[in-house]
Formats: sequence, structure tokens, C-alpha cells
Amino acid sequence: MTERSPRASDTNAMYVYAVCRTEDRLPLDGVPGVSRDAPVRPLSFGALTAIVQTVRAAEFTDEAWQDRLADEPELERYARAHHEVVSAVAAHAPTVPLPLATLYHGEDSARLALTKESARFHTALKRIARHAEWGVKVYAAHVPQKRESSPAEEPNAPAAPPRPAPGAGRAYLDRKRNLQARREQRQEDSLRVAEAVDADMNRIATASRRLRTHGPAAAGDDRRTQVLNATYLVAEHRAAELALLAQTLRERTGAQIELSGPWVPYSFVGEV
Amino acid sequence: MTDLDFRQGGYPAAGPQTTNLADILERVLDKGIVIAGDIKIDLLDIELLTIRLRLFVASVDTAKKAGIDWWETDPALSSHAARNALEDENRELRARLDALEAKSEDMSTSEK
Repeated sequence: MTERSPRASDTNAMYVYAVCRTEDRLPLDGVPGVSRDAPVRPLSFGALTAIVQTVRAAEFTDEAWQDRLADEPELERYARAHHEVVSAVAAHAPTVPLPLATLYHGEDSARLALTKESARFHTALKRIARHAEWGVKVYAAHVPQKRESSPAEEPNAPAAPPRPAPGAGRAYLDRKRNLQARREQRQEDSLRVAEAVDADMNRIATASRRLRTHGPAAAGDDRRTQVLNATYLVAEHRAAELALLAQTLRERTGAQIELSGPWVPYSFVGEV
Repeated sequence: MTDLDFRQGGYPAAGPQTTNLADILERVLDKGIVIAGDIKIDLLDIELLTIRLRLFVASVDTAKKAGIDWWETDPALSSHAARNALEDENRELRARLDALEAKSEDMSTSEK
């Protein structure tokens, strides 16, 4: 990378994926990253190694990202490419991931900025050493909304609607009130299960975070409602314990509990 | 390195094999270490902070588009949605009341 060219299309930028502490060769062959123009490669700074890729600056401007983020298949491609690089490195050495779209002018600016933050990387690497992130999701079973049909509600004879019997209005209101009460009960029950699961998981975890719950489309099933989306930093030697706990909780609560992991500890490298 | 054997055993955090997009997005978009330094270095005169902020805003929209918004629509778990449900019920009740009143007026006029 030489002097900055006045023409944007000729300018390169440096994409940074992650930082790790290793002297070894990293298994980066066959991991394409976000661009086909140059390979994903290590860049050492001090005692640390950043995983970087030279990309065409014009393809990574904020306008380019705006378009990309609005296009779900594109966003998915970039998110998965980023995640793939981070995961490949993490399979080899403890790794601190950087968020999608961390970019610098070039190698020198990247090295300068990363070096300035060395202390934070060391702290994060220490925190996540021999730990992995595990996602735990709890779903409340969906109760089908049974339409309680009553003659008064069936508009099968619009020309001559049936005359409501005396007290029909009160019965209708009672029914609606019951429905509401049951809904509130279900809501309380689900949230109580979610809190119980979180509390139990926290007994095994070193740290935890609550993430926003996913809607039916993201969860891939609209017959259930996600009531907990949490993530835990768990020591390597306690991973089996976590899986066992998840099973015990499934049996005890009857709730659907999904465990995902091990993840690179994305959620635990920033300011926890 | 001639093969693609990543040997998942060495370190634990290789990432689950099957991962849904929402799980990945919520991690790669706004988790991970954010370096304060990068916002001071502009890329083609565009502050990287701007990119990150817009990225964040867009990610919320994307999350919504991906359906990560059940709390807004599920009456079982959202007070906002529950309120909507109540409003719907109110509307329904008012319509029924209007219909009943209209009918009883009809009957009283026809009985005269």
C-alpha cells in the first residue's frame, strides 16, 4: 500500500477481524473472508497478532455498507464470512473478535490503532482464556388461540341477527376477562421459567448477558415464543455441566430450552 | 498449510456448526471489542464512527425485518401489545353496543 491515491477505486483499506496471541501459523487457507481480492492474513503488533485482509476501500464505504445492510442475503454473506474467519482463528488460539466492518486506511494505521489498545486486548484475552460462550434460549409453548364461538359472535345470519338472551353481555365480558386473565397467567409463568433458567445457568457461568429475544421469523417457528435469549461465559471444564443442567431444566420446567455453542466469546470481550 | 483441517479440538470456541443468522448477527454486529482508536482514523474522509453508528441503526432495522420484534406484537408478553389487544376489545365491544342500541331502537319504533 503506497500513498493514498486521489481515486477512490484505486485505494485499499484494511479490514480487521480479530486479535489473538499466537506465534503459530494460523489455519487461514481456504477462509476467503469478505473479499476475493487478497487473502486473509496475520498482522503482528507487539506480542499480539491481528487477523486482517486488504480490501478495496471503495467497496467498504459507509454507503456500501448501507446498501449491504439493507440487502439481507448480502448482509448474511458478510456476517457469515466475518464469523467464519473469527471461528477459524479461535479454533486455533484464544481470540478476541472485532465487530463487523472494522476498517483502517492501511496496515500502518491499523497497527497504530491496535497497538494503542494492546492493554484492552490482553485484558480480554485473559478474561476469556479457557472459556467459551454458550447461548441459551427458552421458548414458551404457543397456546393456540381458540376462538370461543358463541351464537352471538357468529355472523352466519346477517340479515336477522339472533336476539341476545338477557345477561349475554355480562357473559361475554366475563369470557373476555377470563381470556385476559389466562393470558396474563401464561405470561407470568413463562417469564418465571425464564428467570429460573437464567438464575440456574448463572451458577455455572463466569459471566452472563441477556440479549434481545428473537421473533418468530428469526426463531424459525411461529408456534412458540422466545422468552429468554441469554448468553453465558462458561469455563471449558464446566461445559458438560451446562449441558446437563439444560437437560435437567427441560425436564423440570417442561419448557423448550435450546443450548448453542461453543461460540467465540463475542459477548464477553467488550466492557462487560 | 495444505489442507483445510481446522481441528476443532484445540480450543473450545469454534462456533456451533449450524447457526441461524440472527444468532450470528447479534454477535458480529454489536459485540466484539470496539477499538476507540479506529474512530479517529477516517477512511476516505468518512469517520469510521459514522459507519459504526449507522451500522448499529441499520442492524436494529435489520433485526426487526428478520422478525426480532415479537415483543411489539405478541399480546402474551408485551404490555404494549396487550394494550392493543384491550383497545381492539374495546372497539369490538363498542361496535356490539352500537348494534344492540340500534336494534332496540328499531324494536321500540316498530312496537309503537
